[in-house]
Amino acid sequence: MTATQHGPRGEVVPAAPRPSHAPARRASRIGPRLGRFGLFALPGLLAYVVFVLIPIGMTGYYSFTNRNPFNPPTKWVGLRNYGELFGDQEFRQALLNTVIITVIVTLLANVGGLLIAMLLDRPTKLYVALRGIFFTPVVLSAVVISVIWQAVLTDDGLLNSLLRGLGVERPPGWLSDPDLALYSIAWILTWQMLGFCVVVYLAGLQGVPRELQEAAAIDGAGRLARFRSVTWPMLAPALTINTVMLLITGFKAYDQIQVITNGGPGTGTTSTMAFQIVQTAFTGNHIGYSSAMAAVMLALVATVSVIVLRLLQRREVTQ
Amino acid sequence: MDDRTHAWLRPLVAVFVGAVFFLPLYLVLVNVFKPGSQIVPHPAGLPVPPTLDNVSAVLSRPDHLFTFGLINSIAVTALSITILTVLSAMLGHYLARSRHVLAKVVMVTLLCGLMIPVPVILEPITGVLKALGLMTSLQGLILVNVGYYVPFGVLLFMGFVRTVPLELEEAAELDGAGKLRVFWQVVFPLLRPASASVLIFLGVWIWNDFLTPLIILGPDSGTTVTVGVYRAIGQHQSDFGAVFAFMFLATLPILVFYLALQKNFVKGLTGGAVKG
Repeated sequence: MTATQHGPRGEVVPAAPRPSHAPARRASRIGPRLGRFGLFALPGLLAYVVFVLIPIGMTGYYSFTNRNPFNPPTKWVGLRNYGELFGDQEFRQALLNTVIITVIVTLLANVGGLLIAMLLDRPTKLYVALRGIFFTPVVLSAVVISVIWQAVLTDDGLLNSLLRGLGVERPPGWLSDPDLALYSIAWILTWQMLGFCVVVYLAGLQGVPRELQEAAAIDGAGRLARFRSVTWPMLAPALTINTVMLLITGFKAYDQIQVITNGGPGTGTTSTMAFQIVQTAFTGNHIGYSSAMAAVMLALVATVSVIVLRLLQRREVTQ
Repeated sequence: MDDRTHAWLRPLVAVFVGAVFFLPLYLVLVNVFKPGSQIVPHPAGLPVPPTLDNVSAVLSRPDHLFTFGLINSIAVTALSITILTVLSAMLGHYLARSRHVLAKVVMVTLLCGLMIPVPVILEPITGVLKALGLMTSLQGLILVNVGYYVPFGVLLFMGFVRTVPLELEEAAELDGAGKLRVFWQVVFPLLRPASASVLIFLGVWIWNDFLTPLIILGPDSGTTVTVGVYRAIGQHQSDFGAVFAFMFLATLPILVFYLALQKNFVKGLTGGAVKG
């Protein structure tokens, strides 16, 4: 718009050889446009720049320094923090734990959500009420959910009391066994996200035309064949939403670890990337080092998001 | 498996799965109204007769952890979502209508913000807040919420603005209304469904936020109810009645808010789930 100008008969003419009154006209058009930007776009944008973009830049910059507010001066250390990350056993463990949690949550909540959605895909009151039950945890805080499940899963908790009552002599330490605790955390996340997937899949199921199902049935397709060739392809958008949401939830898992296990039992058996970053930054005050972790996490989140979105959307388009 | 021969099976399985799923929530609900001495020996029993001792103990705590937390949570959530709805409606409207290249750049930059985890930027955010003199203040927390959640609001509003006919705005402008008036009196009322989605999503998220208020409000000043739950379990881990009652009261306001706007929530959630 600024490089070209429309002539009297609508043709585009170069901006340079402009009639003499043009500069004044342009100024009067740019003025309101700037005003509109300042009025409508700037306030929201400013908050975003100050509290998201600038902090990202600062994280990036700090990651190349030895910044520690209690141990000045801050010096440029180049790639040293990143080099150290490679050999850092705790960070590797946290990275692996994050991947394990994310994979479990994404698979389990997707499969469970779809099965329960198919179970509840009836319009009567009973099923509508049950949908509400499955959705309730989605509205609750992860802190509240964590405390509830801690009461259930702790060594003398409700689940183990029940198991002892059933005659199990030494029930597992769901949260105290280093080999089990991570899976218990993954389960708690799954339980909270299940209702989200149920609701999204139900919406998807309700978008499948009855006639298609009936036509396939008349053609002699069995239940499984009908699901595979009619229902499942129509659920592609729901799968995309759920998978993206679950990946994000799994990747940034923090609250459950802080509330329930504090990274333990033992050292870092349930620590995640988010937990490791917060610990290093706010307990250890190693801002330079935690910033390098944060940069790695951000790069991973960005890569996974782009790949998954591309893959899932290709499926939506082709089918 | 035919639909008719096993018609009785579906409700049976559905109710069973629902009951197992609901069990942890049931345990909290019944034990809120049970005296402490009854909780450990009979965790799953119904509270007969029910008692309000746990609830009143939380409300009359000498450190006011719950009451101050409730006031803070309501203030932070209400102000954050009001500001966010207004700012992201205006920004979303601007971006949806502008055909300038810069608007595209701004849009992509905002969308990138959707996937940034809080821990990645939290330490620098405390630095920015200290520089502004807003660290450990509710205003600081509200501003951070606005900056962090504005991309989500913009995303929802931008999609919705496209359904509002441009002619409507042009007609109002021809009648001599200024840009701001056109927006407030013509566009914003039409965006009501999107506003409801933004309010309810962000209301639930901000109310339930844990890490951000934990760090920004700090240990000294009052905190939010969600962080209060965390503080409460640190103090009396074995007193299930007290902890459950605290959680119950901390959840009640947001549950009521959610139920009041529920229809829009599910609509907003599933808007993209159906093709076409």
